[in-house]
Parts: sequence; structure tokens; C-alpha cells
Amino acid sequence: MTAPTTTDGRPNPTRGLGAIWFQVAHSAASSARLQPAALVHTGVHYLIVAVAITTLWTRAADGHSGTIVGYRAGALVWYLAATEVTAIAPPLRLIDRFGADVASGRFELELLRPAPALWVRVAAEIGTSLPRTAVCATVGAGLALVIGGAPETPVALVLVGPALLLGVALTIVAQHLLAAATFWLLDSRTSWFLYQKLQFTLGGLVLPLEVLPGSLGRIARLTPFAAMSYAPGRLASGHLEPGWLLAQVAWLAVLGLVTARVFAAGERHLGDGGAS
Amino acid sequence: MTASPSASSPVQRAPGPAPAANAVIAVDDMRRTFTTGRRRRRRTIEAVRGITFTVARGERLAFIGPNGAGKSTSIKMLTGLLRPSAGSVRVLGLEPWSQRRALSRRIGTLFGQRSLLWPELPARTSLATLGAIHGLDRPGLGRRITELGELLEATELLDRPVRTLSLGQRMRCELAAALLHRPDLLFLDEPTIGLDLLAKQRFREVLVRLNTEHSTTVFLTSHDVADIEHVAERAVIVNHGTVIHDSPVASLRRTLLTTKRIEVGLARAQTVADVRAALGPDIGPVMALGDRPADDGMPVDGIAIGVDTRRQAIGAVLDRVLRHLAVADVSVADPPLEAVIGEIYTRPAATAPAVVQSLRDGPS
Repeated sequence: MTAPTTTDGRPNPTRGLGAIWFQVAHSAASSARLQPAALVHTGVHYLIVAVAITTLWTRAADGHSGTIVGYRAGALVWYLAATEVTAIAPPLRLIDRFGADVASGRFELELLRPAPALWVRVAAEIGTSLPRTAVCATVGAGLALVIGGAPETPVALVLVGPALLLGVALTIVAQHLLAAATFWLLDSRTSWFLYQKLQFTLGGLVLPLEVLPGSLGRIARLTPFAAMSYAPGRLASGHLEPGWLLAQVAWLAVLGLVTARVFAAGERHLGDGGAS
Repeated sequence: MTASPSASSPVQRAPGPAPAANAVIAVDDMRRTFTTGRRRRRRTIEAVRGITFTVARGERLAFIGPNGAGKSTSIKMLTGLLRPSAGSVRVLGLEPWSQRRALSRRIGTLFGQRSLLWPELPARTSLATLGAIHGLDRPGLGRRITELGELLEATELLDRPVRTLSLGQRMRCELAAALLHRPDLLFLDEPTIGLDLLAKQRFREVLVRLNTEHSTTVFLTSHDVADIEHVAERAVIVNHGTVIHDSPVASLRRTLLTTKRIEVGLARAQTVADVRAALGPDIGPVMALGDRPADDGMPVDGIAIGVDTRRQAIGAVLDRVLRHLAVADVSVADPPLEAVIGEIYTRPAATAPAVVQSLRDGPS
């Protein structure tokens, strides 16, 4: 058979993975407009969580002369508004869903496509997350302005957008890494439980890492969880620390590479007759 | 088509092997074992025990067998999802396991019980995403979706979320997804499962049309005999991990038919016991016609006689019927294809090769 061309609707084998990635992400992002109720639900969900946590911390700050571990009450609101985006914007229960897809055999069908299944999955999840991130970030910015007032360092806020996107991407890749346990284990729910706890504590999701005692805080900063949530929170709270963006990119590269390797091993395991 | 001989499993072949160059699928002594348990409880299961066959370009093949026969394992090896333990497998000239992605550009897959589409999205969006994954450019993809919508009479369905479609409607969209990249070879695993009669019929017509108009090779597995009869030209039957039969579908009945059924309308009502006594002790099973389940001792005006053609010539039995009974009407019928295939399925593993061997020599 001759090499197919694009003019007759045949696949183009020379089309790069990058182009495929962006087209899949774009399709997934575009599909959000078809489900406006889901976006509204995400925004309301985010608002409820963010209001509860920021209220809690501003009250606590009020009891400590308006400052906690170096964060003034307004900065804390901006911090929490940003970190919660990285928790709520990514698709929920990704690890569970992946486990179900491996168990049901749906994932196998994804292996019968010309692009790597992990690559496509991550693109689709990131694409789906983009409108959700935009909604949560918009609601969060409004909430922070109302409760926390104007940001302390507006220029740092410019970096929050990319930091949020990188944080969400990191969250998605990290969840795929843990989800890959499904290739060898029948039940991936423990992975989901573990992931949640780690993001909660080491990511500084509901409290800045400065709250953690001594070396634990320093260690937490070196983990990918800090790059996921703490980094955008730190920037949003007025700390002009662009190094966090570099840390996020570095972690994304490392986790992406490790996840790709683990998935390749998992796919070989399936091909040798394991798991599903 | 052809299936080359294997010492371990002599299989009936259809005449005229396909030239190797024309083979879309060439499988030689394909085997797959699975190991379960650990240490002393370790067990090895032979799911596929040396399957050999070829499929020519443009052929419509039914690959059938009972549950646990090794069909799914074989399909997984043919599509590259599973690595064979031994043997050679070439699909469209590629080794599926090591060249799975290259192969996926040229094959389409449709698994009746698993969906390629995203339930929350309109089918058109799913198709666009799948098209992107296949590297189709946007204008070409748009044209292709329109074309498939028309071919599958699914144009009006494409803009509805997949979860709102009936099973028959969804399967048409699933088929569109499988055909999006114009595959040379289509693997269909139980494609009509759960569909109503009309939807099944329409689906089969589309498959045949695809094959005749575009020379798409069709590799079908199904437990629905009507799928096999209406879609496939050739049937490869597997059981216990080996091919036990391989012939054109049209000749399945003829070559495997070892029973016939003679239906007799009686001019004078008789009991089944009297009929048996009249025909002699070596006659096959005799039963009352109609919905009377057993010989209840009451006279009947119609009977059916089962004839094992390996033991008795049909003419001899007919002659005896005409001589000993008052016959008003008589007819001879073949059992349905379903019964023929069912009979093959029930053969024990050890006898399967021998039975097939005897069939190769021709019916007795």
C-alpha cells in the first residue's frame, strides 16, 4: 500500500506528535462549550471551597495581628484562591477513571491508535482542564479582590496565569504516574488516596508550606507537589519569584519522562498478558 | 484464502490457497500461553495452541468459536495488543506486536462491547478528536465525516451526545470511528451484539457494501450465526486454541452436515411408537411434529425423523418411510447453520482434529 496523503482524508504519518497533541487538547477544550452546566458547576464548587477556606484563614490571621507565617490576611486570600484552582480545575478522580478504563479494556483500544495513549490522554485532560482553569481563576480573582483587596505585588500576578497552567498540567501528569499502578495492581484507589494527601500537605493546598515545621517545609518545597500548588499560590500572594516557573517546567519534564517510561512498561505488561 | 497444514491440527481447507503476496493476514503456528499463580501454584494455560491461516485482500472472514476457544486472544495478537508466545504473525506485512502504531494507521477496530467514543460529547466531536489522533488534516477530516455520515445514514446523529443515542445509532457512529482513516482491514468483534433485528440487518449491509465498494478486508467474530451467513464468505472455526475448520460459509452445511430431518405428513394418524415399530429398530430419533414435546401415546398426523447420514443413506430411510407408512406429504430439510456450528463446538478437544481430518476426505 502506498503512503497515505492528507488530501484524500487518509492519515498523514508525518504529522508530528506536537500537532496531534495540540489538536486533541483543542478538541477537548472546545467541547467545554457544549457543557456549560458543567462549567457553572465547577465554578460554584470552586467558590464554595474557596470561600470556606479563605474565611477560615482570614479569621485565623485576624487573631494573629493580621499576619500568619509572614503572609498578611489579604495575601493569604490570594494564595488560597490560586492553590485551590490547581486542586479543582483538573478533572476529578482521574486515577479512578483510568483504573476503570484499564479494567474494562477501554484503555486497550487506545493502544490501537497511531499516537501514544499517554500523550493523547494527557492532551485531552489538559484540554478539558483549560476552560475549568479559566473559570476557577476568574472566580478566584474576583473573590480575592473582594475579600483580600488588591494584590500586594501586581506584577507577580502576571506570572500566576502560566504558573496555574503549569500547576494543572503537573497535577494531571502526576496523577497519570500514580494511575499507572493499575497496570500491575487491580485496585488503584489507594493511589488516589495517597495522591490527595500528598497534594494536600506537601503542595501547600490549604496552608502555606511555611506553616510546616522546620525541615519538613524545606523538603516539601523540593517536591513536585509544591510546584503544582504552592508555586502559583506563592506568586499570587505577591512574592515575585519567577524561579518557581522554572521549577514547574523542570518537574513537568521529569514527571513526563518518568510517566512515559512507566506507561511503556505498563503497556508491555498488558501485552505480555498481565492485568486486564 | 488458505490455511496451510499443521501437523498438530489437521484442518479442512477450502480449495485454492491465496497467493502469499495477496495475504492481508498471514498467521503461522501462532501460540499464546498464560502463566498464573506463583511458585508451586504456578500454572501454564495454553490459550492458543498453534493457529495457522491466511486471509486474502478483500476477503470477508468470520473467525468464530465458543467462549474460551481462543478468539479474543487471537484478535489481540493480530492487532498487536498481545505478544504471541511463539509463531509468526504478519498483518498487512507488519508484525503487529512490534509495529502496533504503524499497523493502527491501516486497520480499523470495532468492539461491540467497548466504545471508542466519548459519551458526553457529540459523535462529531469524538470523530474530530480521533481524526486528529490519526493525523487527518481538518479539511480532509470534515469531508470524511460527511462522507461516513451519508454512508452509514448517521448524518443527523453526529451532532447528538453519544450517551443519548440508541445502541444501534451508537454502533453506526462507532463504525464511522473505525472507518475514519480508511483502513484496509477491519476487525469487528461482536459488532451486532445487543442490536435489534433491523439494526443488525442494516449493519451487515453496510459491511458488505464497504467490502465490495472499497475492498476493505473484513475480519469478523460473532456469536450471531446470521452475521456469519450474511457478512462472511469464509469461516474459520477455532476451539480449544486451534483451528478446527476452515471453509467457505456456503459449504459449511454441505461439508459438515451429518444429520438431516425428514418430515412426514401421515395420511392416517398413528402413534409415534407405532411409527417406530413400522420403520424398524435402527431408525433414527422419531418425534411428533408440531408442539407436542414427547410421545404421549396419542395418534399424530405428522412425524419428524432425524437421520445421521454417516450411518444411513437418506434415500434408504425415505424408501422405508414410503413403504411402511401411509404418507400424505414428505420433505427433507437441513438443520440450521446454527445447529451445524453448535455441533462443531461441542466436539471434545481430542476428537476435533480427527473429525476434521475425516471431513477433508469427504462426507461418507
